[in-house]
Amino acid sequence: MSEVEQSLITDEHRAQIGIKSDPIAVTVREADAHRMRDMLDDSDPRYADGTGVAPPYLLAMFGGRGPGGPGARGMQSILPGGLLTQQEWRFLRPFRIGEELTAITQVVDIRERLGGRYGYSVLVTSETDYFGTEGEQVAAVMSTITQFDPTGAVQE
Amino acid sequence: MSQRYFEDIAVDDQLPPAEKLPTADMAIDFFGRGNPTNPAFADAEAGRRMGVGGALVPGTMKMAWLTQYVSAWAGPASTVRNIRVAYRRPDIAGKPLVLAGRVVDKREEGGRRIVEIELVTLAGGEPSVRGNAQIEVPART
Repeated sequence: MSEVEQSLITDEHRAQIGIKSDPIAVTVREADAHRMRDMLDDSDPRYADGTGVAPPYLLAMFGGRGPGGPGARGMQSILPGGLLTQQEWRFLRPFRIGEELTAITQVVDIRERLGGRYGYSVLVTSETDYFGTEGEQVAAVMSTITQFDPTGAVQE
Repeated sequence: MSQRYFEDIAVDDQLPPAEKLPTADMAIDFFGRGNPTNPAFADAEAGRRMGVGGALVPGTMKMAWLTQYVSAWAGPASTVRNIRVAYRRPDIAGKPLVLAGRVVDKREEGGRRIVEIELVTLAGGEPSVRGNAQIEVPART
């Protein structure tokens, strides 16, 4: 188990909290919707080919793949391992196939934890808001990535 | 796919459990081949190096499963408004997951009829994901 005697979270890390990313364009793609629907065996008629509506879980394609989500910058990983440990999706209206959304991400919290499965870990929570072309909010994702040192993690 | 109505839903109603068998291939297909993903989703050895014991099942794939699970239960005239989960332990490809849910609240707020569902995924009988979802459902009248 690795020993961490002082916090690895610096003032520079904390200074990233609340800084919004540049807007990033994400497109609601028919191919993604089709593939994910097939993979999940989703027969909901609302999302069938030709309806022009994408299933809500398409959010997985453009939400928060990196630490901090699409467009996040300046937040380097503090520890080498990272796992998604909490997530929230909010849907304000359906996604339309072909529409281009604007994503803006910000880190909203950084904290550390000692003990448990990952030993010393750093929890970075970010939020990404998605807006339609009229500026209306379409969806939001809140994600917490737990960063840890794999050499100190408890193996399954 | 049948429709559920607000009047017919009761607190403590159980959703029928659904079994899923995640595979490493499925994880890659989920994001689309050629799209960048965590190497541990496809490679058991990379997963072991991360300390998770094998190829990791993507959290967002489990989230998508849960979203579809509650959406299918509620029916096509219902809308998932919010889903929130805590990934309590990593899931490993090749091990079956059981999705289960229970209605914990129903209420009217701002003219909307909201049903709240407590969700869990079970791996080997142990919870690996816990969460809840809020679904807007129609009324019969």
